[in-house]
Amino acid sequence: MAKTLMIIDDSATMRKIIMKTVRMSGLEFERTEEAGNGAEAIQKLQASSVDIVLCDINMPEMNGIEFVKQARQLDCIKNTKIIMVSTESAQDLIDNLMSSGANGFITKPFTPERFQEKLAPFMN
Amino acid sequence: MIEQLMVDQTILDAAREVFETMIFMDIEVSPDSNPTIEGTTLLGSITFRGALDGCLTICLSEAAARSIAANMLGVDNEGEIDEVAIADAIGEVTNMTMGSIKHRIQNVYPDIQVSIPTVIAGKQLYPKPGPDFNRGMVAATLNEKYPITLTLFFKQTNLS
Repeated sequence: MAKTLMIIDDSATMRKIIMKTVRMSGLEFERTEEAGNGAEAIQKLQASSVDIVLCDINMPEMNGIEFVKQARQLDCIKNTKIIMVSTESAQDLIDNLMSSGANGFITKPFTPERFQEKLAPFMN
Repeated sequence: MIEQLMVDQTILDAAREVFETMIFMDIEVSPDSNPTIEGTTLLGSITFRGALDGCLTICLSEAAARSIAANMLGVDNEGEIDEVAIADAIGEVTNMTMGSIKHRIQNVYPDIQVSIPTVIAGKQLYPKPGPDFNRGMVAATLNEKYPITLTLFFKQTNLS
C-alpha cells in the first residue's frame, strides 16, 4: 500500500530540498504534505494523517521537540513514524527525542542514501 | 598559531561537508586571503551561545548565492529562482555549516545553543563583532569561480 509523507520545516527551500532528496533516494509516496512548524503540522495531521513525518527541530511557534511530545498524545498521529531532520547532533538531544516518541534521526547535511536507510524500514 | 589553524581547518572541513554533500560544489582555499566580492553581497549569519559565544558568517556574491540555490533545489535555469529562495538557501547553508562546526567541537564544548540564521544583502558587507572576540576565517573559492569567506567569531564564557 502506498505511503504518505509530511515534511515539517520552517524553511520552504529546505522542504523542497528534502523532497528532492527523498525522490533521489528512490522512495515513492502517494501524497506529500508540508508544514512550516509543529503547530501547523498538528492542525493538518488532525485533518488528514500521514504514515511518515520528516521534522526539523529548530522552528518558530512550535519546535520539533514539542511537536513529537504533542503528536504522541493524539490518537490520529500516535502511529505515525516521526523522523527528525536537523543540524543538531548532540546525543543527549537525540536520546531525549527518541524517548519522547521519535522513530529516527537524520543529521543535516544529508544524502539520498541516508533517507533510504532511515525511511525504508517504514515503507512496508 | 596552532589553535588558529585548527579553528580555520574546522571551518573548512564543515564547509566542505555541506558544499560537497548537499550542493555538489567544490570548495578550495583561495590564495587571496581577503578576496574582493564584487556587486551585491549576501551575508548569512548565525549566532551561538553557551560555553562559546559568537557568530558564524558566510559572505558571497549574489551570483554565487544564486548558483548555490539552483544546485540545492535541482533547478537548471538559475533565473527561475527568486530572491526569497536565494536568501532561504544561504540561510540553510549557514545553518548547516554551523551545525557541522558544532558537531566537530561538541566533545570540548557540548552545550552550545544555535540561533535561527539571518541573511542580509547589500554592498561591501563585513561582519564586525566586539573587540574581545577571537576570529577564525577561511577565504575560499566555489567551483574555482566564486569567492566566498566564512568567518567564525567566538569567545569562551564562564560556562566553559
